[in-house]
Amino acid sequence: MQEKDKTRRKVLIGLTSAIGLSGVPFAATPFIAAWNPSAKAKAAGAPVKLDVSKMQFGQQIQVSWRKQPVFIVRHTKESIASLDLALPKLADPNSDDIVEPYKGLNPSRSKSPEYSVFSGVCTHLGCAPKYFPEVEPKPWDASWSGGFFCPCHGSMFDIVGRVFKGVPAPTNLVVPPHMFEGSILTIGEDKEL
Amino acid sequence: MMHHRNIFQNILKVSLFLLFIVTSHEIVSAEGGPCKDYGDCDEFKYSLNDIDSLQRGASTYINYCYGCHSLQYSRWGRVAQDLEIPEDIFFENLVFDKSIKSGDLMTGAMPEESATWFGVEPPDLTLVSRYKGDDWIYSYLRAYYEDSSKQYGVNNLVYPGTAMPNVLLSLQGNQRLVCKDIPKIAKNGGEKRDNDGNPIMIEKCGFLEVQEGTGSLSKEEFDKLIYDLTNFLVYVGEPIKATRERIGWYVVFYFLIFTALSSLLYREFKKDYKK
Amino acid sequence: MSEMAGKLFSWLNNRLPIVNTFERHLSKHPVPSKVNFWYLFGALAAVTLIIQIVTGIWLIMPYSNTEEQAFSSIEYIMRDVDYGWVIRYMHTTGASLFFAVVYLHMFRGLLYGSYQKPKELVWIFGCTIYLAMMAEGFLGYVLPYGQMSYWGAQVIISLFGAIPYVGESLELWVRGDYYISGITVSRFFALHVVALPLILIALVFLHLVALHEVGAGNPEGVDIEEHLDEDGVPLDSVPFYPYKVLNGLVAIGVFMTVFAIIMFFFPEGGGYFIEMANFQEANPLVTPDHIAPVWYYAPFYTMLRAIPDPLGGLIVMAAAVAIFFIVPWLDRSKVASIRYKGIYSKIAITLFGVSFLTLGYLGTVGVTEIRKIMSIICTIIYFAYFLLMPIYTKYEKTKEVPTRL
Repeated sequence: MQEKDKTRRKVLIGLTSAIGLSGVPFAATPFIAAWNPSAKAKAAGAPVKLDVSKMQFGQQIQVSWRKQPVFIVRHTKESIASLDLALPKLADPNSDDIVEPYKGLNPSRSKSPEYSVFSGVCTHLGCAPKYFPEVEPKPWDASWSGGFFCPCHGSMFDIVGRVFKGVPAPTNLVVPPHMFEGSILTIGEDKEL
Repeated sequence: MMHHRNIFQNILKVSLFLLFIVTSHEIVSAEGGPCKDYGDCDEFKYSLNDIDSLQRGASTYINYCYGCHSLQYSRWGRVAQDLEIPEDIFFENLVFDKSIKSGDLMTGAMPEESATWFGVEPPDLTLVSRYKGDDWIYSYLRAYYEDSSKQYGVNNLVYPGTAMPNVLLSLQGNQRLVCKDIPKIAKNGGEKRDNDGNPIMIEKCGFLEVQEGTGSLSKEEFDKLIYDLTNFLVYVGEPIKATRERIGWYVVFYFLIFTALSSLLYREFKKDYKK
Repeated sequence: MSEMAGKLFSWLNNRLPIVNTFERHLSKHPVPSKVNFWYLFGALAAVTLIIQIVTGIWLIMPYSNTEEQAFSSIEYIMRDVDYGWVIRYMHTTGASLFFAVVYLHMFRGLLYGSYQKPKELVWIFGCTIYLAMMAEGFLGYVLPYGQMSYWGAQVIISLFGAIPYVGESLELWVRGDYYISGITVSRFFALHVVALPLILIALVFLHLVALHEVGAGNPEGVDIEEHLDEDGVPLDSVPFYPYKVLNGLVAIGVFMTVFAIIMFFFPEGGGYFIEMANFQEANPLVTPDHIAPVWYYAPFYTMLRAIPDPLGGLIVMAAAVAIFFIVPWLDRSKVASIRYKGIYSKIAITLFGVSFLTLGYLGTVGVTEIRKIMSIICTIIYFAYFLLMPIYTKYEKTKEVPTRL
């Protein structure tokens, strides 16, 4: 074979391979993209909006976001003032061990000084802690100053979801991104973040 | 050459088949068509790149149809996005239930008792353009006529005995079946004439005619409304259709290039053994 | 770097016959040097099988095989899953093109006597693949659970009922329920997704192994093994790799162009690839105006409808597929290729082709008196092609086959 033919052959092999291979990422795109969250997943995972103005002081409600419970607590002035009472019992009072979106903003750990917003999933093994706001001795804590008790394995959290020392749960209850527009709370979205 | 004889045989086979089909008129003639008493359905050509048309169609659908007919596979937010309507404007003007979120499916407003009101539950229309066809929809929505023997006082040439009332009556006006004098047509297709050269008239019935002044829209305006509505239904039947056709050009072009190149490559290598 | 790669390769090659296999089946595998486009459809069928498997796997992910959700899960794929529509249309287009390519591949076999000794087993494996494909296509079509899925399944399953004595219990057993339901769908799902693909892959493997054992044919019907060079390699052959692989590449280019045109511009195939009625969810109370099978079953559906008796129709339909298996023994000709066969074979195969296409057309339209007569005539021609073959191939005057390509 002559040199010219050899070159022609090489060029053609190269060109055809290049064109052929260049199509591969395009062909792969649908298969890879199909694994992205679908519109159904995005809809189900969509932010949840609710009006919290009707909540009573000291009341805790629960909403579902991304198939998980989220607790909203409307605090009385007393319970915010007495947050320091539980301080010595807490394992991580300033949320240093976890990534918290609104760290240091409010004693409530949320974007509002009056409401707390955090996940209702115990950081131990995922049970739902129960709300016990009354300041009175409890079987699990003689000096209970209000908070959450998890019935599964006895983990305890204060009234703004911070975990106690010496309990199975390792970290504070997680605060999701959220925003307040007047009295409308949106969980799962924060235009400012 | 042997090579040519096979091509000849193949062409012969295909031509025989085609000849057979074409000349056997009886075999090919259509049975009762999908547009039934209306005759042949009116031709509809979709234009999914005409966003304005789709927007108007969506508006008509929400205002006149969505009350009874759900679009259960379609999501609100997707319609807003595909029709290039900013979400807040869309939700303000076209979504009447304020608890609806962007990602929600358009599940409709009809309760299940609707089956007793109409005899049958108004069907979901997300896919109607795919199982009935756009021609059919376009014809159906314009083929209502006055019929006092029916429950809602109307009947439809495309779907005789339909349980659906004529929701667009106030827009189209009152359409009736009328008889007209039309020229008699001879066997060769021309008009039959009398000795003076005037066309011979006969009376034919079954024509649709709207009573003047009974509708808020003119015939052209109403036809345009129905065009936009049908166009929207084509979109909702397959929202990705416009994108699919657009991408298609690129993909076909790519494979044509690939075929050309690989053909050159093959022929180059074939030189090794072809004398 | 490349030395390491070389060492790794040697390590592997000492434990797996990589180089050996590559040479035996690719770079040193002799195939006839002169074939025509009819010989490309086998490779295209293999490519289509791979496309169906890959797209099929991706479709299983979002699909729901329950009665309540099957239909809506398809719309979910079309709308909510990113690029789900691409994967769906690839699968439906691939299904139709798989049959188109295989029909052409089979026709090549009839044209050039590819079934003749010693390739009978290749042919038999091929016929079995076709049978498996028919089952696979039917099962797959039920899964979207549209009107045609339901009513098509109803018709085909009721065919089992035509079998005497065991018919009704067989029907019930296949359905798993007293009427077609989610139970039927989910078992068809298992067969379509696992059982038949495994069987198909095994059969394709055997088909290729059997072919490589005896060697491929050519349009002249010449035995290339008759004339060897001093190394024992047939003179009229070329190594499969790279020459026929490159030829295959061109074929793939053309095929994918057609594939893309259909997929992106006419995925429903005018209602022949995805039937319009299937965009309506299955409704046991409403029968569609026309229950028509997808186009690739149409010829056999016509035969079924042509025979008034259900059992008779079933037998004729089954025979129409089964008769392919015995073609190697029906063809008594001394020559393999249509090019050298006599005038009777040429007329017969032409009539066969025309009748097959006509049967196909008739299966997609409604029944009328004239069409009924046409169906019967075409069915007779179809069977005559096979049943008279031992006679016309034995007694016709053939031409002399050249010795070299």
